[in-house]
Amino acid sequence: MSRPIRDLIAVLVLAAVAVVLFFLFPTNLALLTRIVAVMLLVLSLDLVTGFAGVATLGHAALFGAGAYAAGIAAAKFGITDPLLMLAIGAVAGSVAGALSSLVILRGHGLSQLVLSIAVVQLAHEAANKLSAWTGGSDGLSGIAPSALLGMFRFDLFGRTAFIMAVVMLLLVFVILRVVVRSPFGMLCRGIKQDPTRVRAMGAPVYSTLVKMYAIAGAVAGLGGALSAIATKVVGLDSLSFNLSAEALVMLVLGGTGKLFGAMLGALVFVWFEDRISAINPFHWLTVVGVLLVAVVLFAPNGLTGAAEAIWKRLRRARS
Amino acid sequence: MKSVFLAGLALVLSNSVAFADTIKIGVVGPFSGPAALQGKNFQAGINAWLAVNGNTIGDDTIEVIYRDLPAPDPAQSAALTQELIVSEGVQYLAGYYYTPDAMAAAPILEEGNVPMVVFNAATSAIVNASPYVVRTSFTTWQTSTPMAAVAHDRGIKKIITVVSDYGPGIDSETAFVTGFTAAGGEIVESVRMPMNTNDFSPMMQRIKDSGAEAVFAFLPAGPATLGFVQAYVENGLKDAGVTLLAPGDLTQEPDLAALGDNALGLLTTFHYAVSHDSPENAAFVASATKAIGSASELSFPAVGAYDGMYVISKMIEATGGNQDAAAAVEAVKGLSWISPRGPVSINPENRHITQNIYLREVAFEDGQYINKEIQTFENQVDPGWKAP
Repeated sequence: MSRPIRDLIAVLVLAAVAVVLFFLFPTNLALLTRIVAVMLLVLSLDLVTGFAGVATLGHAALFGAGAYAAGIAAAKFGITDPLLMLAIGAVAGSVAGALSSLVILRGHGLSQLVLSIAVVQLAHEAANKLSAWTGGSDGLSGIAPSALLGMFRFDLFGRTAFIMAVVMLLLVFVILRVVVRSPFGMLCRGIKQDPTRVRAMGAPVYSTLVKMYAIAGAVAGLGGALSAIATKVVGLDSLSFNLSAEALVMLVLGGTGKLFGAMLGALVFVWFEDRISAINPFHWLTVVGVLLVAVVLFAPNGLTGAAEAIWKRLRRARS
Repeated sequence: MKSVFLAGLALVLSNSVAFADTIKIGVVGPFSGPAALQGKNFQAGINAWLAVNGNTIGDDTIEVIYRDLPAPDPAQSAALTQELIVSEGVQYLAGYYYTPDAMAAAPILEEGNVPMVVFNAATSAIVNASPYVVRTSFTTWQTSTPMAAVAHDRGIKKIITVVSDYGPGIDSETAFVTGFTAAGGEIVESVRMPMNTNDFSPMMQRIKDSGAEAVFAFLPAGPATLGFVQAYVENGLKDAGVTLLAPGDLTQEPDLAALGDNALGLLTTFHYAVSHDSPENAAFVASATKAIGSASELSFPAVGAYDGMYVISKMIEATGGNQDAAAAVEAVKGLSWISPRGPVSINPENRHITQNIYLREVAFEDGQYINKEIQTFENQVDPGWKAP
């Protein structure tokens, strides 16, 4: 099969899953929209960690930048058009990504990890301090997005928000497929495997990674803006170390270095967490912890890795 | 065939009638994680109310559905709230420990036709977020403002304020400074500490150097207060006669045993002390202790939940069990009753609770540390509320 056809099939499968979820869980659309926002964050993390090999525990800084930018635009400047808010979020995320990468990329390995934590903590503290703009720990409220395209109101059931989120996710997915397969994407994979060699080849390492960070920032920023539109409140948690770490857990759960892995990890993790905590709101964290340990032990390459291994074994058995 | 169909239809109809008789209340709070104790107190307050009053109102049965939100997370709060409304079909929403979570739930109340009774979240502006918000807890402004009068009455002229650097801390500082300077006092310095400060010795040195006669402090209820009070005593401020004044978050009852003798004589202002002396409170404490399992875990969120359940029961009575948020909220405006904390009422203007604020002193009586009420500021409204 040629690539465009495989891409088309992938998009159709994703769209079909979204349609099925839409009709199967008509009362859980707010949760599903939230999952799409988290998916964008995990996709973004996958770009820098899974594809380009940058270790980071501070990726929520980019998500939060998008969320706060879109939220402040709506609450303080009256820019309530949802598409415009998404664009603002993407730009803010991209700028935050490029700027923070200048710091994070100075380190390697552990020091890189520490720098990334410093970045998200600084962003968190800045948002707490600038409470006139961000609402501080009380959260930024008063975000009232106007109807999508002037026609579709954001309703109680969350239909508009979900459809908007899914369309956006599909667009991002297609663009990212192109990006990761482009010579630029290949260069990033090369840097992940051996930066010294890439440098010896004469290709720029630092500036390539900064560009990747800017792209990843735009994706995370879109996720943040989507969350701001759907929730109508932005809290400090969107800039937290916690969210950064959770995103990494989701990525590992789904499988790194694969776009499907990032999306699957976010879907399974958040959905599962929500269901378990509804069944037992008092002791659910224990169950989630045990299951995560089990996944990491028995499927070290994540859910997509495990699925691939099973698929290969089946094919070998048939041939 | 027709009769089978009719029988089936009758069954469906009778089922739906029976279904309408169950009124669901969705409660969102921290039931796991570091603030689980506060969520447990929500649950204890609700169960205490149900134990005293039963779970039926008229022909209707109350069913409580819990959802866990361990930390401030508005996105999850919005998702949980929406799911409770459209999927579980709750008629009332309640709980909400943190301000951002309550703020995220407020925008969907009107369309969902659901009133929300806030059991804790203490920022003044929450009631402005939707006309369907009623609050039975307190605001930080409400509990901090009377302390200014206390300080003034005790002849204290120079005060340093020290607060945790986040929303409630800043509210508390602003409330106290506003009240104290209006009374003619002088604020020598205002310090905001980062949230995760654990070592308070440098802070104590700063308080000493400031030359203040007293320190007004706000820290969220929990582990940090232990370190703060210990540092206050160990650095000799208590012996030097520098008075420590604070809202009651600093000395919530479950922390008192750990604070121990260090806290003796500490002055705090708050809306509720477990040791409050009244028959209503004795009954409440007895049944809430049974619900929570251990007397030492009982704290202020329980009384917010207990009174919140009373307000919801009045809403159900007024609407006859029908889902009508506007009528339900209208019915409790101006409602007044005797709560375990004393006489209270719902301010019709902003739907926030008007209540007594008590000055308390930490004392050791009958083998346990208590917040002993020594002065009452009657019928305090929320001074931090501004009309939208």
